[in-house]
Amino acid sequence: MSELKNCMLPDELLYHVDFNVWIHKNGDGTIDIGMTDIAQSLAGNIIHCRPKKVGRSVKTGKSIATVESGKWVGPVKTPFAGEIVAANNDVEIDATILNRSPYKQGWIVRIQPSNFDEDGSDLVSGKDAISGFETYMAEKEISECVHCEGFEG
Amino acid sequence: MSIYKDAKYQDVPYEKKQKLFQEVKEDMRWESVMYGCYECGICVAACPSARFYDFSPRVFAQVMGREDIDTFYELLNDSVWDCSQCFSCTRCPRQNNPGAIITIMREVAVNHGLSSAKKALQAYSRIIYKIMSTGTQVAPDMLQPDFFPDWGPDVKDVSENLDVWRRAVPPETMHTTELAWDVSEKTRLELYMIWKLTGNLEMIENIDEGIFMILEEVMEELLEEHGYDIDDFENVLED
Repeated sequence: MSELKNCMLPDELLYHVDFNVWIHKNGDGTIDIGMTDIAQSLAGNIIHCRPKKVGRSVKTGKSIATVESGKWVGPVKTPFAGEIVAANNDVEIDATILNRSPYKQGWIVRIQPSNFDEDGSDLVSGKDAISGFETYMAEKEISECVHCEGFEG
Repeated sequence: MSIYKDAKYQDVPYEKKQKLFQEVKEDMRWESVMYGCYECGICVAACPSARFYDFSPRVFAQVMGREDIDTFYELLNDSVWDCSQCFSCTRCPRQNNPGAIITIMREVAVNHGLSSAKKALQAYSRIIYKIMSTGTQVAPDMLQPDFFPDWGPDVKDVSENLDVWRRAVPPETMHTTELAWDVSEKTRLELYMIWKLTGNLEMIENIDEGIFMILEEVMEELLEEHGYDIDDFENVLED
């Protein structure tokens, strides 16, 4: 687990810095997507998360879920196209999971990618992810990550 | 040259500033909001924002009256967002309406997708989303400890038991937590059509791509569920 200004970034994940999301490749060809620690810090106390329905096709850069905090709302964008094959009902019932455990319990949807080799070129990991997020945080004037519900991974 | 020593937008071409200034003056409301200022300061004395920020409604009346293009552009990117739009300033003895001048200026800033406008509105994205998707601006569940620290420790208890608190409100249409009151799907669809047909959706796309994306997807899904064709809006309005 790497750390950047109190923001946790697990080393085993791939990241899309601009979309502020992580992805995890499952062994069966599907891919999980979720919000990063930085994204949950930006949102503040999350009160609603509405993942898109299973069976929907999504294009690169389009929304896979709507996330709402007190006064903020925003989409969670997918870095690759595909079909949603599973959605995490737990985050729909208790959206604070996204604050508490953005990487483990807080996966949002599972996608069967249609053209990952091409779409996935913007994904980074390791040092590239750290330096990318460092620039991102400076641009957005984020001094550090805040774990309003604690951090459970 | 701007009246401000620390002017931030000196590098912006004068022609661009002038174009936006002209757009404010060409607004149909302009002639009924600006008659000339004799600097009595009544608007500043009445202005709640002036008590808390380095903000003055009088500056708006003076700068616009003098056609000071450079200072106008500074105001358009900065002070324009400090106004609370309460219109206390309408007690002007010359019938100037600095609040309305600011309304027009904000619209010009938003229509042109100025980055200062994007930044100013960023924190209110859910309010914009609510009003555009439901017509209700404030939702009870906006009462969260991190957004309303000024409510003190009570806000935590209120936020955790919102449904109970809301049931204490007599009308059933207000037993809502995500919206100020219950809004019918027909109202939501009509609203969406209004935003779409009047060009407001495009304006939102300029200012916050995220809200635009969500709004479009949520509402188009709702239309689809009801079997409406997006181009056939008359059906929605007649049903």
